[in-house]
Amino acid sequence: MMEIFQEAASGITNRYITDWVNSGKKIVGYTCSFMPPEIFHAAGILPYRIRGINTESMEIGDTYYGPYVCTFPKCLLQLAGEGKFNFLSGAVISTGCDAMRRLDECWRKTGEDYHGSIPGFFHYFDVPHKTDPHAMKWFENEIRKLILNVEKYYNVKIKEDSLRESISLYNHGRTLLWEVEKLRAHENPGVSGTDAFSIAVSGTVMPREAFNEQLEQLLADLPKQKSSSKKSGKQNKNGNKRIMVAGSINDDIELFRLIENAGSNVVADNICFGIRSEADQVNMEDDPISALTKHYLSNSVCPRMFGAYKQRFDLLQTKIERAGVEGIILQNIRFCDLHGSENGLFERDFEKLGIPCLRLEREYGPLTETGRMKMRIEAFLERMEVKQTDSGGKS
Amino acid sequence: MSIVAGCDVGSLTAKAVIMEKGRIISSALLRSKTNPQLSAEAVMQEALSKAGLSMDDIRYCIGTGYGRKNISFVDKDISEIACHGRGARWLNPGARTIIDIGGQDCKAVRLDKDGNVVKFVANDKCASGTGRFLEVMARLLDIPIEEMGSLSSKSTAPITLSSTCTVWAQADIVKYINSGHKIEDIGAGVNSAMAKRAAILANSVGIEQDVCMTGGVAKNEGVVQDLEKLLGKNIKKMRKADPQIAGAIGAAIFAMESLNGRS
Repeated sequence: MMEIFQEAASGITNRYITDWVNSGKKIVGYTCSFMPPEIFHAAGILPYRIRGINTESMEIGDTYYGPYVCTFPKCLLQLAGEGKFNFLSGAVISTGCDAMRRLDECWRKTGEDYHGSIPGFFHYFDVPHKTDPHAMKWFENEIRKLILNVEKYYNVKIKEDSLRESISLYNHGRTLLWEVEKLRAHENPGVSGTDAFSIAVSGTVMPREAFNEQLEQLLADLPKQKSSSKKSGKQNKNGNKRIMVAGSINDDIELFRLIENAGSNVVADNICFGIRSEADQVNMEDDPISALTKHYLSNSVCPRMFGAYKQRFDLLQTKIERAGVEGIILQNIRFCDLHGSENGLFERDFEKLGIPCLRLEREYGPLTETGRMKMRIEAFLERMEVKQTDSGGKS
Repeated sequence: MSIVAGCDVGSLTAKAVIMEKGRIISSALLRSKTNPQLSAEAVMQEALSKAGLSMDDIRYCIGTGYGRKNISFVDKDISEIACHGRGARWLNPGARTIIDIGGQDCKAVRLDKDGNVVKFVANDKCASGTGRFLEVMARLLDIPIEEMGSLSSKSTAPITLSSTCTVWAQADIVKYINSGHKIEDIGAGVNSAMAKRAAILANSVGIEQDVCMTGGVAKNEGVVQDLEKLLGKNIKKMRKADPQIAGAIGAAIFAMESLNGRS
């Protein structure tokens, strides 16, 4: 059962993508968790979160991007140039951060130089960095503009009722993901962090109906556990440390496996491919567009959102409490200004609360640094074994 | 007899330390071989024969270094971060900030007053600021690595390297050699570049006195003096043993603690 999720999370395509394409239906890729996939679902199109997994070289990515840029958009561009995303009939690029915003321009240019590498429907979806009324209005307009363009290009009508049904289906998926989140947070984690992350990643690349169905089945098959009333101070029976992974974009389950194999359980994460706020449902009572606007923009879970550090800190603290997290691995892709600086703040503030933090800078893509990363992770777990007498130091 | 050992298999050298009652009774240092197991066996054998012992006499052995997972004869392995911290502490009981520059990496570790690791950082996948950087430059200058350190004090006009990238720095050095610069001025520039890289790491963990250096580069007085200037702190000399074997000393101390049931 878990193999389906692991397979979907480990490669660019999966059996569902193949079937979808073979049946003549359309797939549209998107790059940011602020883009509501419900819109495409309501149009009968498969929304697919574009990933850079399995990138083997970077000659195209490095040509169009400068050297001091995060490797995630470079990997996406590399794969696009190689034609690996040819199964997409469309792509939506968002202003997740500046490097991701530039993917719009870089992919357009790559499309000119590498024939056929740019999908027919290519849309720039702007996402404001604030949540004030003007920004909410702006974002709502962006959603409406996206709907109009999808309707025009694909010759479909996205009706309010279908949008509502899609929201309901996605909400059900969120409920199921939350069940997984509860299982991994248990005193005796019922699901490993690697498996929980595989499930979350596959949710972004599988048809939602199939995802929900498979996940329902998996949850039914997993052994039932008595819920633990103990909120914090949980300790694993196996002696493994309880870790939370946060920071930059990651869709590589091997990172989680590396951390867990070093002697820990990843009992929570806060990564945009992972389970971040799946408990928050899109409001079904509201007008669907307004509900999507509020859900996707007002959850300032990403450091791209201005002035919401406190909200994000509180979110991590809630996760720490709920899952009995004993230490945090704050990873970021090199040159990721947003997570790089926010990780520094998290480290400062959580260390003050006595929660050990490890900052890990890495490249996106194959885990070429596993030996060195493993050494740091192991040293961090060793550090957690002993209680320090002071923190000292000037930084 | 409660004889313990620590074996540190690094990327360039392998080190072994044998201890009894908290004192080093033997140690060895060898160039790393093609695989960690061979390096570990050879260095341990040398340390054992120096002390007239056999492996059966070792009650507990801890492995560390990048090759630690591949040593068959160790009872346990511990990361080099913790071992260098513990080893430096044994060399200098007041040590709170350790700058360890090994063959292929450069680390800064801050300890609490009891010697536990509070924070650490390591360089990324780049030879800049590592022992390998020094080796490459020494070869280019055609002088033994052991003599690199003394060049700083002989220099009157040290050069400045425009890049600490090993490849670009080589190109820079060839340019200086060709333009007739003195070897000591070029060597002093190399040492200074090393110190600058190490200072970045040391500053990012936050410096607490005493500051100590471990690893092979700790024996390069040019780097140590430049680092002292950059940090504005005295780097304590550790004369009790070779700072290059600090990781193996730390591993042996952990072995002793394990034997005594303290960890």
